[in-house]
Amino acid sequence: MNLLSILARRLPQLVAVLAGITIVTFLLLRLAPGDPARLLAGDRANAETIAAIRQQYGLDLPLWRQFLVYVGNLVTGDIGRSLRFQQPVADIILRFMWPTLFLAGYVVCLAVPPTIVLAIVGARRPGGLADQVIRTFGMVGLAIPVFWLGIMMSRLFGVTLGWFPVSGYGVGFVGHLHHLFLPALSTAIWMVPVLTQSLRAALIDRAGADFVTAARAQGASEREIFWKTILPNSVLPTLNLLGVMVAFLVGGTIIVETVYAVPGLGSLMVAALLGRDYYVVQGLTLVFALATVLVTLLVDLLTGLIDPRVRT
Amino acid sequence: MNAQAQTQPLLRVENLAISFASIEAVKGISFDLLPGEILGIVGESGSGKSITCRALMGLLPGTAKVGGSVRLDGGELLTLSEADWCAIRGREMGMIFQNPASHLDPLRRIGAQVAAPMVRHLGISRGEGLRRAASLLEAVGIREPEKRLRSYPHEFSGGMKQRAMIAAAIGCSPKLLIADEPTTALDVTVQARILRLLKDLNRERGLAVILISHDLGVVADICSRVVVMRGGEVVEQGPVAEVIDRPRHAYTRLLIDSQPGRKVLPQPKAAPEAAAPLLGVERLSVSFPARPGSIAGFGTRTADVLALDGVDIHVNAGETVGIVGESGSGKSTLARAIVRQNRPKSGSLRFDGEDVLALSGEALTRFRRRVQMVFQNPYDSLNPRMTIAEAVAEPIWRHGLADRRAAAKQADELLEMMELPAHLRNRKPRQLSGGQCQRVGLARALALKPQLLIADEITSALDVTTQAQILELLMRLQRERALALLYISHDLSVVGSICKRVYVFKAGQVVETGPARQVLSAPRHAYTQELVGSLAHLPSAATTHETGAMPHHAP
Repeated sequence: MNLLSILARRLPQLVAVLAGITIVTFLLLRLAPGDPARLLAGDRANAETIAAIRQQYGLDLPLWRQFLVYVGNLVTGDIGRSLRFQQPVADIILRFMWPTLFLAGYVVCLAVPPTIVLAIVGARRPGGLADQVIRTFGMVGLAIPVFWLGIMMSRLFGVTLGWFPVSGYGVGFVGHLHHLFLPALSTAIWMVPVLTQSLRAALIDRAGADFVTAARAQGASEREIFWKTILPNSVLPTLNLLGVMVAFLVGGTIIVETVYAVPGLGSLMVAALLGRDYYVVQGLTLVFALATVLVTLLVDLLTGLIDPRVRT
Repeated sequence: MNAQAQTQPLLRVENLAISFASIEAVKGISFDLLPGEILGIVGESGSGKSITCRALMGLLPGTAKVGGSVRLDGGELLTLSEADWCAIRGREMGMIFQNPASHLDPLRRIGAQVAAPMVRHLGISRGEGLRRAASLLEAVGIREPEKRLRSYPHEFSGGMKQRAMIAAAIGCSPKLLIADEPTTALDVTVQARILRLLKDLNRERGLAVILISHDLGVVADICSRVVVMRGGEVVEQGPVAEVIDRPRHAYTRLLIDSQPGRKVLPQPKAAPEAAAPLLGVERLSVSFPARPGSIAGFGTRTADVLALDGVDIHVNAGETVGIVGESGSGKSTLARAIVRQNRPKSGSLRFDGEDVLALSGEALTRFRRRVQMVFQNPYDSLNPRMTIAEAVAEPIWRHGLADRRAAAKQADELLEMMELPAHLRNRKPRQLSGGQCQRVGLARALALKPQLLIADEITSALDVTTQAQILELLMRLQRERALALLYISHDLSVVGSICKRVYVFKAGQVVETGPARQVLSAPRHAYTQELVGSLAHLPSAATTHETGAMPHHAP
């Protein structure tokens, strides 16, 4: 009947998904080529040093025992130590997480208002001039690769005009806003067209719904009908799409973060992968999965808040 | 008549013409509505009756061209600006629609939706609106109105939704209520109650009503005058009794004759009683798991919903058997269980001596050939990408009864037998009318030469006139092909006119069974009595048109 029941239904699913992810990440990494102990010891290490390192990290144990240790550590909140930085993985991830979360939030803030405005303008007269123009620009925005857009914008606004910094994260809230504007914008440019098309289609569909005719027959003005009836009934598909995109953003900002040298999870992931930093990659995968699950849960709760039929 | 002529009409429609692009949907119609009167508008789909009433409310899309004059209380409506319309809609005239489920906003509470027009037009506060909404809900017969204010539409039954729509429409005490097929989507007993509610509101509040329906029986039930429309024109209008007793126009006569139960279709002599029935259903129970996820989701066993509860029925070879009941009574579950789409919980199912539930492989395929089903919605049950000839030929070659070319030839013969013109054979389903499409559905079912045909509400989506044609066709086919027919319907009068025996279903059980005539004329079970009482009759059904009229099933 209420949101709590949605929560109660989703939590077991959440646990199951996380368990699955744990197994998969553990196995994927162990089966990947390359020996971390050798990497850690350096090129000229002798066999004894390598064996010692192996033993120290538990890499000589059978796979299932490594897994048990891993799960045991996970439960106590320990997701391992980075082989490279010699620091707890949790600390590293925490440090790199804020820029990414900030970036993701920033992107959403930049993407949602234009989406709503453009979708409404387009849906007002489907096939009209405004609709066509929005759609054409949307296509262009979708077609341009994010990395190219990122480089071009950093050259124009950063180097030529000098309006925005082209790398780093900045200091303080305003500094973050300033530094992350270009990365957020280049990501939003890719998201807005997709969201707009989704919302526009829903708006057009709901505008012809029977309950809209009924509201009209009860004397509601077009304005009231739009804001109270059509829009609330149209946002759900787009909200779900946005959820998927945000979940993807948390793990998928690698390109923008690399282009703009933002010290976020994406940059960390690239570095960890190249350095075969087992535990960091594992921890990151876990964090990405957790983020996806949490965002999905949040979207489900929001959906339940809007649509009473989902709550039962 | 003279006294009436003196009163000023509430609504005067003169030469109303509506066209879309080059299509004339309504061709200059005129009629009057007196204050406090219930006027019926009858006609089949496409006759322009719904478009007419949308024009009266100013609800036509911008592409429509409207000419003529509509005056409410002397004031011209057609020239109103959109803002003026908003002040009149819901205030002076209210409207309710065919499908209450889709006309309520699924995201807002019933209370808010009923209160909205009052808050809008009367300038009262939200709290006052909700208070009045509660008394309105009570007035339209919804129990526990205070509690129901907080419900959402999906928690209401179909009848309750329509009551809520009515409550919202009459909140501002309009002078006129336009009801566009308000009961077509509802069960017969619910239909009777909604019609009674409209009549009560009319009497108690002096509310004038325009009732649009394709069902002359419904109109005759509560209207004082009737307008008969066809092809965008008014073919006849006058007091109900006069129009029904002495129809002047041929189309009105056709409408009257098409009323189910007006005519006993020739029923085939039953084949000599075979020792064993063709289909025997014994103590059949089907259950569905209750919806998961309710409060006690974990650990505790959720009670299953019994859709069928120990049902016994049998059908002899060549016999026509009717099954009547409201939605949710288990009729369709039975049909689906017979064709093995639902797995029964217990009970036995025998067809021609074989245990249907134990069939598998080749025997099951053979069984499927011998038992065929036709569905309620002809458009949904045909593949939209196949031409109708392909759709009919498909089962023939798929079952290996003929190669594709021979199957196509057989399909043509079948379509011809269904009285479908040859030029339609390459059309897609959506290019056909509902009646034509249902004929294709029948042809497809008959392509495999079944012994038993299950017809699940096959005419309930059709106009009365079309329904009458389909029923006649069905009876002819049954005669010619010695087909056993299990006819499922919520409409007792249809079942009464074509079936030899009926079973009355309620809540998954058979509450009454017997020869159709007897069940209709002397129902024993209280529920059957209610069903029979709910039938919307033409007032003089027993006295006019003796040509084949049924020997009285008086109300």
